[in-house]
Formats: sequence, C-alpha cells, structure tokens
Amino acid sequence: MQRTQQPIVTGTSVLGIKFDGGVMVAADTLGSYGSLARFRDLRRVRQAGEYTLLGGSGDYMDFEAMLEYVDELLLEDTTLDAPPSYTPRELHQYLARIYYNKRSEFDPLWNQLVVGGVRDGDVFLGYVDLQGTHYEDETVATGYGSYIARPLLREAYRDDLTEAEARKVLEDAMRVLFYRDARTINRIQIGVATEAGGIDISEPFELETDWTVGIRKH
Amino acid sequence: MFRTMFDSDVTTFSPMGRLHQIEYAQEAVKQGGATLGLRSDEHVVIAGLLRQTKKLSGHQPKLFVIDDHMAVSIAGLTADARLLIKYMRTECLNNKYVFDSPLQVATLVADLADKAQSHTQDYSSRPYGVGLLVAGYDKSGPHLFETSPSGSAYDFRAQAIGARSQSARTYLERHYETFADASLEELITHALTALRETAGDTELTAENASIMIVGKDTPAHELAADDIAARLAALGGGAAAEDDAANDDDEGTNENPNA
Amino acid sequence: MSSIGTGYDLSSTTYSPDGRVFQVEYASKAVDNSGTAVGIRVSDGVVFGVEKLLISPMLLHGSNRRVSTIGRHIGVASSGLVADARALINRGNQEANAWKSTYGEEISVKVLTERLASFAQVYTLYGGVRPFGCALLLGSWTEAAGPQLYMIQPSGEAYGYFGVAVGKGKAACKTDIEKLDLESMTCEEAVVEIAKMIHSVHDSDKDKEYELELSWVCRASGGRHQLVPAELRDSALAIATAESSDDDSSSDDD
Repeated sequence: MQRTQQPIVTGTSVLGIKFDGGVMVAADTLGSYGSLARFRDLRRVRQAGEYTLLGGSGDYMDFEAMLEYVDELLLEDTTLDAPPSYTPRELHQYLARIYYNKRSEFDPLWNQLVVGGVRDGDVFLGYVDLQGTHYEDETVATGYGSYIARPLLREAYRDDLTEAEARKVLEDAMRVLFYRDARTINRIQIGVATEAGGIDISEPFELETDWTVGIRKH
Repeated sequence: MFRTMFDSDVTTFSPMGRLHQIEYAQEAVKQGGATLGLRSDEHVVIAGLLRQTKKLSGHQPKLFVIDDHMAVSIAGLTADARLLIKYMRTECLNNKYVFDSPLQVATLVADLADKAQSHTQDYSSRPYGVGLLVAGYDKSGPHLFETSPSGSAYDFRAQAIGARSQSARTYLERHYETFADASLEELITHALTALRETAGDTELTAENASIMIVGKDTPAHELAADDIAARLAALGGGAAAEDDAANDDDEGTNENPNA
Repeated sequence: MSSIGTGYDLSSTTYSPDGRVFQVEYASKAVDNSGTAVGIRVSDGVVFGVEKLLISPMLLHGSNRRVSTIGRHIGVASSGLVADARALINRGNQEANAWKSTYGEEISVKVLTERLASFAQVYTLYGGVRPFGCALLLGSWTEAAGPQLYMIQPSGEAYGYFGVAVGKGKAACKTDIEKLDLESMTCEEAVVEIAKMIHSVHDSDKDKEYELELSWVCRASGGRHQLVPAELRDSALAIATAESSDDDSSSDDD
C-alpha cells in the first residue's frame, strides 16, 4: 500500500508565544503547491472546543483531518450540563498520541502543530509534529520559523509580557519570515486565548512591509 | 406463577415488561456484604463490612483503589467485580497515556454501565452479578456513583448497597443533608456509624470494617486498621441495631462466594 | 392475559397463531411502566419533558438525565429501560458521526430515525437477542426543515409526530396535546404546557418523587439541543404546581 510520503498543499511557519494571562498564535493564509503560491486564503489558526487554539503547518488536508478527529472527540464529551471539558493540555497530549501512532504505522499526518489555550488559570502552549515529537514551552515555532523566528521569540519573551507586546513580537517575527521565507504571503491571522475572553481569532490582515533596504542607491 | 417461564434467560421479557434475569442478578448484589459511601464537597468516603468466608481464611477485601483519584467498593460476586476493576484500572491508565490526566469519574461510570448493558441483551452472556460504589475526585469535584447489573448508574450524595443495607440507608437518609459541609473526620464517623447498622449481631472491628478515602489533595487510600480501631473505640458500644425492622435481608451464609 | 401460558410468547422468533409477536409487545410494556416522556412540535422548535422518577432522595439533582443529545442538534427523550435507551443513543451518535465524516454536514433527524429504527427492528428478529425495552423521542430544528419530531418504538416502528407522549401517563398527555394549537404556539408556551401535563399525570400517591426534565431544540437555541433555561423551567413548574392545587380544591378532576 502506498502511504503518505510527502505533503501536497502546504502551509509554512506557525508561531506561538505566551503572555501574561494568555497565549497567541500566528500563521499566514498561504497554501503552497510545491513552490507555487496556489491558495491564498487557507485558515491555519483554528479553534477546537471552547478553550483551545490549533495552528498547523505542513500538509493542509492532513491538518483538516486532524481537526475532524478533535471535533469527534469533543462531541463525545458534550453533555447537556457542561461544555466539553478537555483542556488545551489534554488535547496537546491527545494529538501527540495520534501523531505518534500514525507515524508508527508509517502513515504520518504531515503537520507540525502549535497547541495553545487557557483553562482554569493554566496557560498552555505546546508543539506536536508528524513524528509524534511533543513539548511545552513559552514560545513555539514550526517549519522555517523554528530556525528564523524562534530565536526572536525567545529573546522577546518575558513572564510579564502584555498582550499588546506579544502581538508586536509576533507581527515583527512574521514580517521577518515574510522577508526570508519564499513560501509566505504578508496576509496573516493571529489567534488569542485568554481565560476571560475565551478564543478570538482575527480575520486575515496584511502586514506592513518595507523593502527600501533592498533598493540600491547610487 | 408464570414467573418460571419468563425468568430463565435475559433475552425474554415477562408479560409485565420485566427482565427477571436482571432482577436476579440484582439479588446477588443484595446478598453481598454491605457497603456504603458518602461525600462532602471535598471528600468521598466508602466503607465496607468484610466477610470471612471460611474460619481459617482472612477477610475478603471489598474496597479497591482504581487510580490515585478513584476507588470502588463492591457488593455481589467478587469474581465479576475483579473483572470490572481490572477494566477500570486499564481505562484509567489509558486515559493517562492519551490525555496525560486522570479519567473523569462520570465518563468511566458511563462506560461501565454500557458494558453492563451489553450483557443484558444477548443470550450468550449473563448480567454481571455485582454492584459497585465508585468514589472519585476529578476536575468537576467529588463523586459517588452506584452501578448495577442492569446497566444503570446513579449519582449520589450518599448510598448503601448489599445485605442489610436498608438500615444504613435509613441512617444516611436522615443525615445526608449535612454531608456537603462535613469535615473528613465527620464523614468517617458517619460511615462507621452507618456501617454498624448493617453488621447486625456481629461486632464491628478493625478486622471486618474497611474504609477508603479520596478527595481534594487526597489520593485514594485505605484507612489503617489501628486508625479504624481508635475511631470505633471513640464511637463506643458494640453492635447497635437501631431499627431491626428495616432490615430486609438475611445474613449471608458463611460459604457465600459473595463479598 | 390470553397470551400467557400458550408458549407463543417466550421468544421474539415465535408468532402466535393470530400473527402477533408477543415478546415485542412485552418489551413495550417496559415503556408503558416507565415515567412519562412528552415531546411536542410547535412553530419555532421542539420541546421535550420527562417525568424522571427518583429512586432515592439522596440522588444528586440533575444527574442521570433522561434527555440527551445526539450530535449537537438532535434532542432525545427516552422512556423505558434507561440502559437500553443509552445503548440506542450511543448507536445514534455513531451514525451521526459517520454521516458527518462522509458528507460534511449534520445528519437529519429523519435519516437518523430511520437508521435507528432499522437497528432496533433487527433486535426483534432473532432468538439470541431481545428487543430494546425503550422508546425514543427525537427532535430537531433547522432553518430549512423547521421543527421535526419522531418516535421510535421497541418494535422498530417509527413515525413523525406533531406531539407524542409515552410512558405511564401517555393517555392523559395525548388528550392534553390534542387540545393545543401547536401551529401557533411558541416553545416558551409549550414548556409551560408540558410542565402542567407532566405534573398532572404524576401520581404522587403511588409513585416515587420525580424530577421534571425540560429541554428544547429551537430557533432560539440556534438549532442546538439544550436544557430549558433554569428560570423558565422554574416558572413553568410554579405555574403547573399552582394550577394543580386549584384543581384539587375545586375537585373537578376527571
């Protein structure tokens, strides 16, 4: 049987960072077909249940399949008296098990995921990938971003980072990625999870860019 | 009088729409040694009256730890209970593996009930002959459930099942409204007092009384024998059958395989 | 009962000489002996009410619900053997999941009813199994199809209804429902009517205490099945209780 050997339509970097009281996740909306910028409006920052943000890079169809798995899980957990009770931390572990299981069947879901959310005062941010590798950290970045953006996020991170500061850090890092990663567009979404406000994912918006640095002056 | 025609297997309804095989399985629970449970807003206590099946044997255990956050007590066929306990422990371990968190008590109880139901609709199996009191503490707080061979499960503030449990239930019904705010110490005292109601002529001792506790910041654990002895001493005065009239069951025979 | 002792009523694989399958009828008795469940279909949704008989005062309020949900959009009220109902509802959730992953949209209550009815019917065909001892009321509301209400019986029969009642008090409830103008009624009004019905059929002398469960799936709930908000439930209960004490004093009860 032929199993998944490569991703087809792909999304590039997803970034995540914690701030005081919440987490924030960013990704652009491009779906690349190889090097072709094929789809311009693929939403890769999503909500799972009431409390969790999921960002995914890699194969877009696998990302959607994963969202369905999570939705089915949450459906089982729905009762008339209480909303689904799975925490972001639990969903992170669940996804890690699914991804490790799939890779052990030599049929991986070709993604790198960022999982973030807040529940009962527990601010969580974590990473899962197609091999089942998973960890929790104050900052997370996938794909190209793990080389270029992650050091920037680490440098900027503080315990008492405000939401506004976190947003600036992510926008700056996304801008750097747009300059250096050939699989991006400057149209991004930012998702925020806080205890009080639940989940809020922005509509796509354009980053301001400045190319003057590249213009040779005589 | 037609009962015997309709009671020989679990796939036959009686003309009244009853399933006698399930009711007989529930009878096995009633014959089992008494066990009870009660909960406050922070803790759950379960207690059981242990039986000695043979003179030279020890007392049969009735209370079992499932996981750090869960324990059960059983009434009915011990062997069936062991199977269910193994299932519950496995499910808790699986949840730990998949979600890195303790399994929600209500979820496990629902699965357990579904498992019991599947044994009531198929000619090739019999219903489980055991009732459980499931005590647990999870992110939605403390819980005390009863499961039965019929596949139903109930969410209680306090409950007693097994032989002579009616007298314990009478005691619990009189006091349950005070349990929500009760301290752990008070819960244990109530548990022992109620358990004594089920003991009949037998004196409640540290050997035949067993108690488990689980709750907020309190992993499931058994109360030590000398702890029980001390509390029994503090309660004073041996067997106290307050209202024998309420007792609805005979004492189990010594050779009874039920716990 | 003429069926008893003839030997034609011990298995659902046996017909009686007059063409009846008694085991299926006996399974229906399990439903007739159970607490009443009512569902009515009004202009803007479907409302369910269940008389949940309480086996002990020490039970937690709001536990062991007899109303539940399939998917997020189909409300189910059950009557009969609770464990059997749950088994059927679990099957319903599997069907709903399978439909959604195949077609990417929610299963309709009509299709779900047909599938569950077929599933239940199979349990009336063979010797190794017994029929389900429960009836399910299923309801939904969508913008396109409006309110929909169905009922599945132990026999595997299923029909659509404007209003339906099962369990001990079904006869009286049916009479009450027939008096209502369902077309023009709203869910909020229906909640009160159901509370009154169930309160009046509850036999407080013969039966244990009961808890009234009320749920709806309607325009206001966005097509999701939800418990009726606590305030509305309490006020409906208050009206029902007040009216029945009036009845008692004037004793014009039927």
